[in-house]
Amino acid sequence: MAEENANQQQAPAPAPAPSGPRPSGGRGPRPSGPGGPRRGRRNYVRRKKVCRFCVDKVDFIDYKKADVLGQFIQERGKILPRRMTGTCARHQRWLTVAIKRAQNIALLPFGAEI
Amino acid sequence: MDERIYDLIFICRPDTPEADIDKIISTLEHAVAEKQAKIEKTEKWGRKRMAYRVHKLREGFYVYMTLRTTHGELVKELERRLKVSDPVIKYLTVRLDEELKRQAKLKAHRERRAARRPRKAPAPAGGEQAVAQS
Repeated sequence: MAEENANQQQAPAPAPAPSGPRPSGGRGPRPSGPGGPRRGRRNYVRRKKVCRFCVDKVDFIDYKKADVLGQFIQERGKILPRRMTGTCARHQRWLTVAIKRAQNIALLPFGAEI
Repeated sequence: MDERIYDLIFICRPDTPEADIDKIISTLEHAVAEKQAKIEKTEKWGRKRMAYRVHKLREGFYVYMTLRTTHGELVKELERRLKVSDPVIKYLTVRLDEELKRQAKLKAHRERRAARRPRKAPAPAGGEQAVAQS
């Protein structure tokens, strides 16, 4: 799949000049978040991430447990995406609600520390 | 009408005397009692550092209570009281009964499945070994 795409992109590359740098440019190094694998071109080994809430069989994410929720936000207070944390869709949905509630009662920051 | 469960958290100024906080709690209790509702528990979390500054304060005295009521207007009344009381700098009410109901449902579902599994497990051992091996 990935090879096909690469071939398709590289085939027209010699003719139009602007599209030339795109495949080689590719993805620059991105700030790897916690658990975020470094993405090389092809050679990366990714561990399957498992939803932590599913492992613990959590049915209700408590907005009062700031220490737990704090692990799912960035330094600046942003909610970490699922692809970083491996949380399943359902738990991420509950998690966002819980984090937002915690933010409202000053258990978690909205943004950077003042 | 159905009974609803609410969480109520409010934060007081950290320099509030404990007696004043108790007074606020008792006024809330009175308001709750008037509406024939019930406070399930009251917890004083004490002085905690807040995640951001509120009214230029970094710390606050957290009080947490759970209540069940059939009157939705009670929450309005409680929030009004919290709003007018000076030491309170922040409050939050969350309706929880639907989430607790969902939690109970999921838990029951899981237990049902767990209960079924042991009954299923001995069955292959009894006769259907082909299934177990495959």
